[in-house]
Amino acid sequence: MQSRILRPTLALYTVLFLLFLYGPMIVLAILSFQSPDGGPQFPIRDWSIYWYQHLLGLADTSRVSQLPVGDSLLRSIVLAFMTTVVSTVLGVMSAEAFRTKFKGSGPAFYLIILGMMVPGVLVGLGMALLSNTLGIGRAWWSTSFVLHVVYTYPFAFLVMLAIFNRFDRTVEEASLSLGVSPAQTFRRVTFPIIFPGVLSAMLFSFTLSYDEFARTLFTAGRELTLPLAIYGTFSVEIYPNIFAFGVLTTLFSFTLLVIYGLLMKRFTARATRFQGQEEA
Amino acid sequence: MLTLSRVSRRYGGTVALDGVDFVVPENTYMSLLGASGSGKTTLLRLISGFEEPDAGEIAIDGERIDGKAPHLRDIGFVFQNFALFPHLTVAQNVAFGLRYSAVSPVRDEAEIAGRTQDALQLVGLDGFGHRSVSAISGGQRQRVALARTLVTEPRIVLLDEPLGALDANLRARMCDELKAIRERLGVSFLHVTGSETEALTMGDKVAVLANGRIVQSDTPDVLFSSPRNAEAARHLNAWNIFDAGLCGAASEAVRLAVRFDQIDVAPQGQVPSDRPHLSAKYLTGEFNGPTALAFFRSKDGTLMQVVDHLSCPRLPALVEGQSYDLHFAFDAARQFQEAV
Amino acid sequence: MTSVLTDTPRPAAQSPSELRETRDRRRALALLTPGLLWMFFFMVLPMCMVVYVSFWTQTTFSVNSTLTTASWERFMSSPTYLGAIWTTLRIWAIVLLATLVVGYPVALFIGLFVRNKTLQTALLVACVIPFWTSFLIRVIAWRPMLGTEGAINTILMNLGIIHEPLTFLLFSEFSVLVGMTQIYCVFMVGPITFMLGRIDASVIEAARDLGASFGTIFRRIILPLSLPGVMVGGIFVSVMVLGEFATAASLSGRKVNLLGNIIVSQVGSLKWAFAAVAGVVLTLIITAVIALALRIVDLRKEM
Repeated sequence: MQSRILRPTLALYTVLFLLFLYGPMIVLAILSFQSPDGGPQFPIRDWSIYWYQHLLGLADTSRVSQLPVGDSLLRSIVLAFMTTVVSTVLGVMSAEAFRTKFKGSGPAFYLIILGMMVPGVLVGLGMALLSNTLGIGRAWWSTSFVLHVVYTYPFAFLVMLAIFNRFDRTVEEASLSLGVSPAQTFRRVTFPIIFPGVLSAMLFSFTLSYDEFARTLFTAGRELTLPLAIYGTFSVEIYPNIFAFGVLTTLFSFTLLVIYGLLMKRFTARATRFQGQEEA
Repeated sequence: MLTLSRVSRRYGGTVALDGVDFVVPENTYMSLLGASGSGKTTLLRLISGFEEPDAGEIAIDGERIDGKAPHLRDIGFVFQNFALFPHLTVAQNVAFGLRYSAVSPVRDEAEIAGRTQDALQLVGLDGFGHRSVSAISGGQRQRVALARTLVTEPRIVLLDEPLGALDANLRARMCDELKAIRERLGVSFLHVTGSETEALTMGDKVAVLANGRIVQSDTPDVLFSSPRNAEAARHLNAWNIFDAGLCGAASEAVRLAVRFDQIDVAPQGQVPSDRPHLSAKYLTGEFNGPTALAFFRSKDGTLMQVVDHLSCPRLPALVEGQSYDLHFAFDAARQFQEAV
Repeated sequence: MTSVLTDTPRPAAQSPSELRETRDRRRALALLTPGLLWMFFFMVLPMCMVVYVSFWTQTTFSVNSTLTTASWERFMSSPTYLGAIWTTLRIWAIVLLATLVVGYPVALFIGLFVRNKTLQTALLVACVIPFWTSFLIRVIAWRPMLGTEGAINTILMNLGIIHEPLTFLLFSEFSVLVGMTQIYCVFMVGPITFMLGRIDASVIEAARDLGASFGTIFRRIILPLSLPGVMVGGIFVSVMVLGEFATAASLSGRKVNLLGNIIVSQVGSLKWAFAAVAGVVLTLIITAVIALALRIVDLRKEM
């Protein structure tokens, strides 16, 4: 019937869609190998890795100033790490709290979720106004950091909520009935079982924070994070060094993804290591 | 000795337990029989401390335990779904309570290994210690759950439908083993089940839970042959319970109970004199191997069952849809006053 | 007074179950408090601050806390600012529609037509991977794509379809719309695919056996069942597009001014009160959109 036409049509459409998603990145990757005298557009005059060298400060002095990636990269990673730890801890605690029914759980849920809904530029503005009024200096590790957590904590919370929804409570009760205290039960039973979820929550928090800039824009003060450094180049003319940077930062993200994948695999492998011996 | 007095538990408007009085003596296999939704799991959760009663007292050897945190009660619990720790091996599961107990943790690794080994041996799982709990069968999981509980030497072990997740063959074998293990250890077991055969086979004593109360607690033979009330009789699935008025006897609200195997069937009007009887229509028969069941419907709609043993058949040839007289010896009937 | 006191019976000693319940509730509250406090101090309070400062007095390079509606009056009488509201709403509506139109067939294909779980996951992952590149890099990647000497113009010229490069592609509203659609499409595809994936294949087969055409099946079964996904995706996209400013800043060549851009430029020139007014207006718009959406779906159930 119609699905004979519909199916291939939709398949073709999906392929085009993926091209739409990936096209700009592919073009960007190609142009990152532009020659030193070439601009951020076609044609490619000559293939070279000049702009990568330029980015890493290995190129000779040139007309284009170097991207300020070094310090800002470090700041972004530290900030993302701090955000990850705090938002994951808060997310696990809140999701754990939601396992008990209590009055006011509805508003509490929406208050947390609001953190991922409120546009970054708004909370950023509010935080800047607040710190101005209170006379607190703005910095990436203080005013930006708390806003990053406001943003990533709801994601960590939702991930953990989904994990706890599937969690079998009786294993905790079994542990209690064996004379193990609630705290030890959490450490020895609950936490190891929910660990894959915690890992996902951490991954979420880290990438969101690492890439976040709307919330950082008004609150970071003098010292820039990586996305702010990139944003700074928006207003001026762009050069292929920013493309080279795009390729490298994408590779960095994928490395992170692979590490996450390996950790997950190792964790699930532990649970099934002995499965093969069933028939022994 | 575990004592419950006037223990009640409500969930919102529904009453799960309504003043339960119950005693589990030392060194006893106690079965607790109840229909699903009768509150039997609630009872176990109250004893183990996963939930607390609204009223009443729970005590072990005279010491109040209600209000105490579950991990300080020293009560073993075997779950219907076994609730093994999925991230640990069989041996780690068994050693868990020894290692991390809040009150009396065992620090000596050699002792942990030894006691784990003994517990696995006790339940017949020698050499399974290194396996993952996802790599063993249902029956083996049941044993791990049992070993994990027993190794901590609790004062009493609660078993919540422990055989419910097993298939029929395994169930019969586990019945015997559970009994044997308990006798070896001398600890009391409180085994909750919805199956009257399981309750009667396993228990040194059987308690029946109905309408949120313990309606009777007796040895299996006493309970089976002389249930003290209609509720207890109904749970044994071996008693016909009907209004005495059907036999033209007492006019007040007296209920009679007559066991399936103590009712005889005769064509209408041919009842031997001085035997009470009632008229009922034959519905259908059911062949069960060594026994056969015949179903009748009395005039007021009560379903009556008569069991016939193939080795000594005593029923006449029955025709579906025809009425017969069901009769029984006077002393075979038990009278219950209560209005249900 | 005394009578009231004596009439009120002292609460009876709590039963063990009530004690346990109280303790559990207290524990839950204790676990939740740090998170809620965080949200209060670092989200609710700053937002209140925005509203408060919007009534402050703006002088050339500073604000003082004398309350006035002057900033509001200036904002409401300025064609530039009112134009920004209109632009924001227009861009939002177009992008929302575009992500839906572009994303729905993809979700339909992945969620319903691909029944092989591995392929389904692979396709979804393929949709999510670009999300792993820096957002700003993804925005800027459209420049070499759409520019006068960009990929599209180069290809079209080489094919002989056009002889002059198309100039409307970059630094226009068009480039902003294309960029936003590409970036936010995934948030529409994901929830819809999830909802469609939950449809039992046998339901559709049964309908087909009863002679229903694909059009009927789509209208009667697929569309209604996917609507919660559309709503959730719509909320995601709306919230993100309404708060946007970077895409417009990078791709429009200052031709498109969203409320977000107004806020950024006002903060840049230290016009805090004006920025706050724009912030409040933006908050009102987003609140209205979310409130409308939440009337239709219960977010807590769908997540």
